[in-house]
Amino acid sequence: MIVFRDVTLAFNSKVVLDNVSFQADFHEKIAILGGSGGGKTTILRLMLGLIFPDSGKIFIDGQDITVLSEARLREYRMKFSIVFQEGALFDSMNVYENVAFCLREYTKFTEEEIEQRVRELLRRLNIEGAMYLMTNELSGGMQRRVAIARSLAECKPKMMLYDEATTGLDPLTADNICSLINELSQGEPPDRTGFIIVTHKVTDATKVAERYIYIRNGKIAFDGDIDQMRQTDDAEFRKFINELFVMEQCR
Amino acid sequence: MNVRDTISRLQDFYILSVKATLGIVRRPRYFREIIEQMDYMGMGSLFIVFLVSLFIGMALSLQISAELSEMGLKMYTGKIVGLSIIREIGPVAIALSFAGRVGSGMASEIGSMILGHQVDIMRVHGVNPVKKLVTPRVISAVIMLPALTIIGDAASMFGGYYISVFVSHQSGAFYWSQIKDIMDFENIFAGVTKPFIFGYLIACISCYMGLSTRGGARGLRQATTSAVVYSTIMIIVSDFLLTRVLLIVWGSTV
Repeated sequence: MIVFRDVTLAFNSKVVLDNVSFQADFHEKIAILGGSGGGKTTILRLMLGLIFPDSGKIFIDGQDITVLSEARLREYRMKFSIVFQEGALFDSMNVYENVAFCLREYTKFTEEEIEQRVRELLRRLNIEGAMYLMTNELSGGMQRRVAIARSLAECKPKMMLYDEATTGLDPLTADNICSLINELSQGEPPDRTGFIIVTHKVTDATKVAERYIYIRNGKIAFDGDIDQMRQTDDAEFRKFINELFVMEQCR
Repeated sequence: MNVRDTISRLQDFYILSVKATLGIVRRPRYFREIIEQMDYMGMGSLFIVFLVSLFIGMALSLQISAELSEMGLKMYTGKIVGLSIIREIGPVAIALSFAGRVGSGMASEIGSMILGHQVDIMRVHGVNPVKKLVTPRVISAVIMLPALTIIGDAASMFGGYYISVFVSHQSGAFYWSQIKDIMDFENIFAGVTKPFIFGYLIACISCYMGLSTRGGARGLRQATTSAVVYSTIMIIVSDFLLTRVLLIVWGSTV
């Protein structure tokens, strides 16, 4: 269980999150929507203990992670895996080395075992052919796939975090990434791996998520499912999700 | 920036330097990164250090022999060139070149990794970025800068030799005998201790600036510039302090 309780955070006196509270189960499929610079990614970074709030508490499985040391945070970070916007791949390494990174750092696998595991993951994500390419030789979609492979290499996370996973991709590639996200979260709750996807692309969010949180001016302006989203009377939010209505009308 | 920010940044810098130093004796150790950094810092800087040192030695020799010839003492050019190169100009000039090339490189590389969330990925996967990124750079800098300084000093003395013999028409054998005279423990110790300290400062300052990068391309430019500026200031200030301390240690009177 993830609990945000009255979390407030400001960067250089600009309030990014203002008394944000919500809770989520690890098996949930959540999309956090909002405009650019609205604090969506900040929520993911807070959840992982990469930054800390100015006030408020963040509980992961009952433990307040805002008081933990860097060493103790690892235990809680292991529950998640994150795919950052544009992949955040190590550009001095090739695809194989990127995916093998965590295995080499924290497991005692032999090089043969690592190679077998990396191959298996890349095959599953349909990018085995790119194994020895440098990351700058990959397309945007392939970079996201490699990032997903890397995030799955070391452990089986309880929840995946996707930061703008489909931003900057053409519609077909974005659709492929959405399918992959769904595939990785197959199964019935509470046994499935849930995810939180941060995005401003409403149509992509509706392909994968079951719960939608809309952030506006650092506050949660909406939290509900797709039916509640369709019926919202918040004019600004309706404008934000307008493309969803357009798409449904076209159908 | 207010006083509180400055103190906070100094504290962060101090903590980073201590953690990076402790990382030398704590596991895991990143030998591959150390070798890569040594190659980048050492082999990558060799040509620029050689060229800078050669011309510094030549200019110094030219200037000194011109002054000394007026007093009829130009045969002592070798001694003055050698002494100033080994004790002062060599370590400082090479450290400044090193800060310009390697320090800016360290800050921009780590800064790009911060902006590209690569450092966040390391932290998420339990890899300590200080041990992985900073400690190998500190180790490499404290090994490679003294090595480069020795090579640069040699290049400077050859530059001085060329000017003394072929421009100032002095005896080459006498020039080298003067150089040999000043090669005592005291001078060599001073010449090697300084780059060791400078290397440590350059690596810590540059890595700190890189890790503090915020705000896109502009922030990266600021981090890179700050790395070179602060490294330069610290090289000059610490050179003065080290010179003072070494003079006291050897009991020299001023």
